[in-house]
Amino acid sequence: MTEVQQSAAGFASPFDVPTPPGAEGWEEMYPYYLLFDDARRDEDDARFWFYNGMHFPEPMPAFDMITAESCYLSIGRYQGRVFSIPTVLGIEHRVVNGYVYITANEVTDPQLIEQRLATFLPRIGFYYENWDSLVDRWQSEVDARIRELGELQVPALPELEDENEAIHEQRLGPNYRLIAAYDRTLQLYNELNQLHFELLLLAYGAYLTCFQFCGQAFPAMGMQTMTQMIGGDDHTMFRPDDELKALARSALDHGVDGAFVDGRGHEEIVAELEQSDAGRAWLEDLESRKHPWFFMSTGDGFYHHHRAWVDDLRLPFTAITGYIAQIHAGRSLDRPKERLLAERDRIAAEYSQLLGSDEERASFEEMLGLCRHVFPHAEGHKFFIEHWGTSLFFNKMREIGAVMAEHGFFESADDVFYLNIHEVHEALSDLGLAWSGGTAARGTVYWPPRVARRKEILARLSEWTPPPALGFVPEVITDPTVQLLWGVTADRLRAWASQSDDEGITGYAASPGVAEGLARVVRDVNDIGTVQQDEVLVCSVTAPSWGPVFPKIAAAVSDIGGMMSHAAIVAREYGLPAVVGTGHATKLIKTGDRVRVDGDNGTVTILT
Amino acid sequence: MAETPTTVLFDELRADQVELVGGKCANLGELTGAGFPVPPGFAVTTAAYERDDIGDAVSEAYAELGRRVGQSDPPVAVRSSAIAEDMPDASFAGVQDTYLWICGADAVLDGVRRCWASFHNPEAVAYREAHAITRAGMSVAVQYMVDARVAGVMFTLNPVSGDRSSIAIDASYGLGVSVVGGEVTPDSFLVSKVTREIVRRQIGAKATEVVADVEAATTVERDVPEELRTEPCVSDEEIGRLVELGRGIEAHYGRPQDVEWAIDRESGALFILQSRPETVWSNKPRPQAVAGGAMALITATMSGRKVTPGE
Repeated sequence: MTEVQQSAAGFASPFDVPTPPGAEGWEEMYPYYLLFDDARRDEDDARFWFYNGMHFPEPMPAFDMITAESCYLSIGRYQGRVFSIPTVLGIEHRVVNGYVYITANEVTDPQLIEQRLATFLPRIGFYYENWDSLVDRWQSEVDARIRELGELQVPALPELEDENEAIHEQRLGPNYRLIAAYDRTLQLYNELNQLHFELLLLAYGAYLTCFQFCGQAFPAMGMQTMTQMIGGDDHTMFRPDDELKALARSALDHGVDGAFVDGRGHEEIVAELEQSDAGRAWLEDLESRKHPWFFMSTGDGFYHHHRAWVDDLRLPFTAITGYIAQIHAGRSLDRPKERLLAERDRIAAEYSQLLGSDEERASFEEMLGLCRHVFPHAEGHKFFIEHWGTSLFFNKMREIGAVMAEHGFFESADDVFYLNIHEVHEALSDLGLAWSGGTAARGTVYWPPRVARRKEILARLSEWTPPPALGFVPEVITDPTVQLLWGVTADRLRAWASQSDDEGITGYAASPGVAEGLARVVRDVNDIGTVQQDEVLVCSVTAPSWGPVFPKIAAAVSDIGGMMSHAAIVAREYGLPAVVGTGHATKLIKTGDRVRVDGDNGTVTILT
Repeated sequence: MAETPTTVLFDELRADQVELVGGKCANLGELTGAGFPVPPGFAVTTAAYERDDIGDAVSEAYAELGRRVGQSDPPVAVRSSAIAEDMPDASFAGVQDTYLWICGADAVLDGVRRCWASFHNPEAVAYREAHAITRAGMSVAVQYMVDARVAGVMFTLNPVSGDRSSIAIDASYGLGVSVVGGEVTPDSFLVSKVTREIVRRQIGAKATEVVADVEAATTVERDVPEELRTEPCVSDEEIGRLVELGRGIEAHYGRPQDVEWAIDRESGALFILQSRPETVWSNKPRPQAVAGGAMALITATMSGRKVTPGE
């Protein structure tokens, strides 16, 4: 494994990161504008870049890079040019050995900060004052795009076109319509991400303010308490899991719960259910609940291979089996909503009482009220953008990839994800011209070896550990989004810079309690089904859709993750200790190791 | 007018009887009356200080204490309780004398007299002068002694930062004197007052402990066995009980408290040995957050400014 040389002053220069052996040429996968380029070396070397492992924990397949590009096309626009956030212009991203690094362009000139403030206040004031109607507007804009994406037709390229379509209906050529379908697919995904950040950044701004206030007024208050005070129970991201619980109850109602045996594959279960009326009735129930709630990605919605439940039933069936076992054991599947809300309100009221004056109490309560008001959108948006919308987007790309595969470009439809967005466009032009010209496309010989090579490169890159940061370490970090979303503060950076493997495994104490168990290291979210009862889940990233495995496990550990992650909330809900953002737990812990997870102190110890 | 008594049992005392029994006894009486688990005891009043023959009254009160705890010659702590002591503006902590594990009426009486004598020791005089304390008067607390497996101190705020949402607990083996006197590095816990979560735990060296020598009716210092030193001396459950008591006492007085506590070796029961107002942070003006409500706070945050003056 290639190690990055760390300079005494901080982190390696992004220009000095060696390529892991076997991954030479990785740069060709990505657009020129995302690479560190010697031509802008002086500028980029003087900046601070950190690894965005929270959203992009794996090396990026060429096409999947659009998930980053599409988001950053929107985030900076809202920060810098719409809301005029006083201290930040925007976020830039680059790719190093296939991993996404980002930097914030901060505003430090006090005069410019004041100037931006004058625009900032009325604009964000309008949003907070009209939040509910703006959420409604947002929802209808998003719904329209999801609908269009779902209905979008991807034409096949036939030997001979249909007479009626081509002549009487005067339809445009399917080769052209294929290119147009790709363009529209990409547009719709970009439009969803344009909308993605309209309200979200303001919700995070409210959170961050509340966290800073609490952190300064009550230095011992943990992030989990802050999120607990804000968190509500009623938002869209719980809905998919609720459907699984309903299906577990339905299995008992239909008397088919015996088919759900731990360790049994979903194909086997479905095959058995198809044999009886009751089983078929349950399968009908399953079908009726899939849309749209099974458009839940097994990941965070940034990689094509994190399939939605609707396309990969392993995770939902594992979860349903677990829920049925819980019902058999006499445990309730209901979230203790009332108890959680009562506890949330008790904590908030007690902290409020501890403040020094009525004026402070009023500010705190108003701030907390605002955070709670924006919380359902901040959580719920993920279902529509990262899960439903993104799953449809990748599936539409699979349809396009299937046409290309049929014409000799690829071995399988999924190979399209090894071309970047611009290359797909080129390849479709190639295919369209060749079909029109009556020959085999150049791409049929051009792409297969490149796709094979890129798969090999990505395999090498996934074995490489990206350093948490690169470049120049700043004295202070003022960008509020960077602090909130990634927990990147100057202190944390110094800790990262001095971290070594033998210092044990530490991270954020995301959910309290201490538990021991055998570790199950899950690097690929598709392997989540391998988790056994009472194991400690050790994963690179905790994703919202993993909620259903929580009833089975004793504790959770992740390499990457913030306190605002849905998984942290779910861990607290199930009363499981969790330590997130450890940096390298999946590298140090092996499946079968006995580990102790201390969710109070954020430490993980390997016992054997 | 009834004559001022020479001794008063704790459960007949309230916080406003400082003139009669001094700060410590008045607090112990108040805590007892409020239902907190305070070992029983009695005050030898400030009026008794003026009297010549207090022997009978003290012996009688001591015998009554013995009946209450079902023990003849029960072990007691004899400690000074001055009028100006354990008040919100001055703690007097450690300035006056304390005698531990005293058994028998004669020994108790001797302890009372020595406490009175300590009223005039140079440290006490200097402390009163430094704090401009003119009210004088000395009572003595005689309190049944818990044979402590562990004991320590609890502040119902963070004594380092002044954070009122925290409870700080120091604990070590044996009697609390090791912790109070700084003779050991205790285990140290920081707990959220609101969520009860243990925010920080540091395991101290705890090399020695002071325990009762029942035969010799005194206390002795001894080494703590190696294997116990690296273990936390209190369990999370015990910390939880302590925190509940700390919250309760603070709520009762309406201000942060400095509490001495002990856990009985035999029964595991938790006792409050005394509680006094925290005097350092409670008397400081508290920094105020940015005024003007949520939008002002957001503006401050997004402009890179702090919303409260904090650290």
